[in-house]
Amino acid sequence: MPAIAGPARRFTVEPALIVVTLFLAALIAVGVAVSDRFATTRNLVTVLEQAAPLGFVAMGQTLVILAGGIDFSIGAIVAGSTVFLAGLVNGHDDLMLPALAGVLMLGTVVGLANGIVTSRTGVHPLIVTLGSAAVLNGLVLLYTLQPTGKVPVWFEDFAFGRALGLPISGLVMAASFVVVGLILWKTSLGRAIFAVGGHPEAARLSGIRTDRVTMFVYAASGFFSALAGAYFVSRMGIGDPRVGESLTLASITPVLVGGTMLGGGRGGVLGTLLGVLLISVLNNLLNYINVSTFIQWVVQGLIIIAAVSIFGSGSKRL
Amino acid sequence: MVASSAEPRVMIALEGISKSFPGVKSLDGVSFDAKAGEIHALLGENGAGKSTLIKIIAGAYVPDEGTIRFDGSERAWASPREAKDAGIHVIYQELLLFPELSVAENIFIGNAPRDRFGFVDHSAMLRGAEAILGRVGHQLDPRAKVGSLSVADQQMVEIAKALTSDIKLLVLDEPTAVISGREADLLFDRMKTLRKAGVCLIYISHRLEEIFRIADRVTVLKDGRHVATRNVAEIDRDTLVTMMVGRSLSDIFPAKPPLVSEPAPVLSVRDLRMPPRVSNVSFDLHAGEILGLAGLVGAGRSEVAHAIFGSIPKESGTITICGIAHNIPTPRASIDAGLGFLTEDRKGEGLLMLLDAAANISAPALQEFAHFGLLNRSAEIKSASDEIAHFHIAVRGPTTGVKALSGGNQQKILFARWTRACHRILILDEPTRGVDVGAKVEIYRMIHDLAAAGIGILVISSELPELVGLCSRVIVMREGIVTGEVCGEAVTETAIMRLATKDAPAAVPSPVA
Repeated sequence: MPAIAGPARRFTVEPALIVVTLFLAALIAVGVAVSDRFATTRNLVTVLEQAAPLGFVAMGQTLVILAGGIDFSIGAIVAGSTVFLAGLVNGHDDLMLPALAGVLMLGTVVGLANGIVTSRTGVHPLIVTLGSAAVLNGLVLLYTLQPTGKVPVWFEDFAFGRALGLPISGLVMAASFVVVGLILWKTSLGRAIFAVGGHPEAARLSGIRTDRVTMFVYAASGFFSALAGAYFVSRMGIGDPRVGESLTLASITPVLVGGTMLGGGRGGVLGTLLGVLLISVLNNLLNYINVSTFIQWVVQGLIIIAAVSIFGSGSKRL
Repeated sequence: MVASSAEPRVMIALEGISKSFPGVKSLDGVSFDAKAGEIHALLGENGAGKSTLIKIIAGAYVPDEGTIRFDGSERAWASPREAKDAGIHVIYQELLLFPELSVAENIFIGNAPRDRFGFVDHSAMLRGAEAILGRVGHQLDPRAKVGSLSVADQQMVEIAKALTSDIKLLVLDEPTAVISGREADLLFDRMKTLRKAGVCLIYISHRLEEIFRIADRVTVLKDGRHVATRNVAEIDRDTLVTMMVGRSLSDIFPAKPPLVSEPAPVLSVRDLRMPPRVSNVSFDLHAGEILGLAGLVGAGRSEVAHAIFGSIPKESGTITICGIAHNIPTPRASIDAGLGFLTEDRKGEGLLMLLDAAANISAPALQEFAHFGLLNRSAEIKSASDEIAHFHIAVRGPTTGVKALSGGNQQKILFARWTRACHRILILDEPTRGVDVGAKVEIYRMIHDLAAAGIGILVISSELPELVGLCSRVIVMREGIVTGEVCGEAVTETAIMRLATKDAPAAVPSPVA
């Protein structure tokens, strides 16, 4: 074969990113057409605010899926974080910050445990994380069946506060996306995540410590789940054992809509961010035209199936 | 099928075939014919146009120009199905079998015999399968699951599948790339049986010695053009190679490094055991030496390599690298100790297919480009460009993906990877598998240069000419034990083969001290 001449292409845009951007633009156009309240600053800030918890969990899920796994324990960790955080503080305002740190750490540890079991036993992560979700859900329901606890009023700022006119939760989400993006594209850990997800055996044989990579992504997912839990506590002022229920599946939708390949090795956090915005705008619009939450579930289920059918032709396993 | 005593009839004749793909003219006015009762070898480097030619014969591609005459009449296949119905069957390298189904079910897939209610008639199918396997002359239980068979037996099932219809032309695409020497002998016997029955066989292989063993005529393609068609009896190896690459055979292997017997080896393996495949292996490898590890497929060679590198755990035995015990190896620890391992399975265990060339080259030594975990991507790209230039890798640039590269260029990427990362020992498992002759020559030169730079090299290969051409010393394994060692002038194909097939070794020679 003759040597191929020509400039090296530095950057290629994933088709999925273009598609999801077009959809997002179309939705916004529809929103503007349907309601004159849609394009107001107030509404767009609300969209960002409400996007935050989905953004957190989807980021963790992006890391896990990129590394070739899947995390089904997200909902349980979110629920657990809300009840433990609100329950621990329970009116003792000075406990707020230590409890927050503790719950974030707890989520990380649960995720780490998922990662250790997955990488050590080779059991499919679907089973491992569903199992740990069941364990955690059981413990949470032993602790309380009802919404519980009480947190200081100032903690509401996480969900509702503004900094420089922007919602704090939205800013935290944006900052998290930047951090995860930097990890993925600018560090050797990020490189290892792509390598392990695409080709675990080849990665192992080129000296990458695949077990550490697996542990990191699940731990990160656990951390982000706990962060989402903290957001819910901030928004509701209490902990609710049922709050995370629909979030596990919801965390996967924006990842796949954003073009990350189920099975790992290809994708990224930018697609996930666009996916999160797409779904948040969609839900916002559906709210405007007074569609019930249950219809929103139907729509989300259809979106995830459509996304996998369109972009998922390259997906490898699972 | 009556084989006339006169000139055998031409089964397939291609006239002036051209086929272009966007950016590439894959075939350029190629003419080619093959006769009934003939084994016709098709040779050429990767990218010479063999696959395109086969696909045109099989009806998978429509030629841009040219005519196809099959069995006496001009044909233009509208689909592979049409070519198949006319009696053309292609056995691709990746077999198209259903591992969970039985041999009989696979043979009759798509045209199973039916009983009068329209259900599959299993007993008729079993009888039919037995009859067909008898025609191939191969003992195989038609009830056995195909997934449980060896690759060689699976190839027989493919051939049997071809025989369910009236087959006139059988194309075999590199069948011996995946089977061992003894299994190849069996395959050749079956091919000869088919030849006697008047079938026309087109045979593709990278292994020149096979051409001389089995083929009647050989056609060489190069860069999409027809170079020559000759009777095999009238040419020698050297001529063939020259036709393929425009170089002569004596240029293929560089001069061997001298025999090394310095007292301190870079790698010492003692009493390595990993049941059931490896029961007792000991040897030494010296700096600057090219040591061969020979044996039939299944002798346990690759397992030894994996045990040293730490990718498959061993049961017992000691490994020493430069005098330092390396007894609980992991791939990371081995790389840090200066060991590199180019695996046999390039796609599954070697390349990071979704990543670019630079990432593939830097993978084992990525820490060199990282400060506190932050990657210096431009340094990585710069280094990869140097390697790409140094190894003459035909890739658009360091940020191009490796998936679309030819086998030879992919292998060179892996060479670049391991020469960067390892500084003491390099284990090469089938370093030229699926690589064309031109790239082989370059790879042999790289191996030689590395040895000259003082790296100890362990080469595992199923191609005896390769071991004989490269190695100054070869240890031979059979069924998990070392059956002997040859060095210097004694490194010959017959000596290696004798040790590889030796039944019960009287005494295991200890490695040279």
